[in-house]
Amino acid sequence: MSKPHYDREHHVKKATGIGDPQCFKGEAPAARFKVGDKVRIKDLPDLFYTRTQGYTRGAEGTISRLVYESPPAEDESWDNTENVEWFYSLVFDMQELWPNYPEAYAGDTVETEIPEHYLEAV
Amino acid sequence: MSSITRQKVMRHLDIVGQIQPALHQATHAPSPDMIDNAHFRAYTRSPHDVGGEPDVSITWEEKEEEVWEHNTFVTCEVLAWRGVWNAEERRRRQNVEVGQTQYLGLPYYGRWLLTAAKILVDKQFVTATELQDKVAEVRKRYE
Repeated sequence: MSKPHYDREHHVKKATGIGDPQCFKGEAPAARFKVGDKVRIKDLPDLFYTRTQGYTRGAEGTISRLVYESPPAEDESWDNTENVEWFYSLVFDMQELWPNYPEAYAGDTVETEIPEHYLEAV
Repeated sequence: MSSITRQKVMRHLDIVGQIQPALHQATHAPSPDMIDNAHFRAYTRSPHDVGGEPDVSITWEEKEEEVWEHNTFVTCEVLAWRGVWNAEERRRRQNVEVGQTQYLGLPYYGRWLLTAAKILVDKQFVTATELQDKVAEVRKRYE
């Protein structure tokens, strides 16, 4: 093993004074979805790293907000920051996520952020 | 709840609950036919992907952070400012690379501190021998 020679400060130089993910603003391709769209979460392989919760996979949610542009966690975690995409805040009906969710709490929701490449139109 | 993916998700969460670290239970070196695709996924999942697996409840305690915890946080931030890692690599190492047993077994900032030391060795900023020598030196102060 040899010591890496890449510019290990490239990320901190880019984000200093701006913030992360703010430093990636304007780098993502045009958003494929808009607020109010119903989408399904793809069950992509979760080998090594992901932040797309297992319990959301295969479920349908509604987009409540386009939150920011960023490399997906799977890339940024190994300092790969070239492929930037939109992140969406999605609202899931708890009854959609959990079998036997109590009828008394119908209308409960959970909201979480998921990157675009996990989403498919319903 | 009808799609095949959703059925797989629910089975996945069930298996994950069953493989929570258990003491004194022989699970060493299973033969390949003991690990089907569903079990492979449960074993290799990111341990921080929690939610929905069967588990016991824990006690909620309101507690101030301790000085060593603040110091650990600052140390990890400084490592980011110096380009040693970014926040996402830090999370991956603290929450996933530590494995299920350490993820559930160590205190929150214990994982931060352990990971801060580990990345300095992994990326060759210090050698494991230098780190071990330093730990031994500090230990001597308290003997």
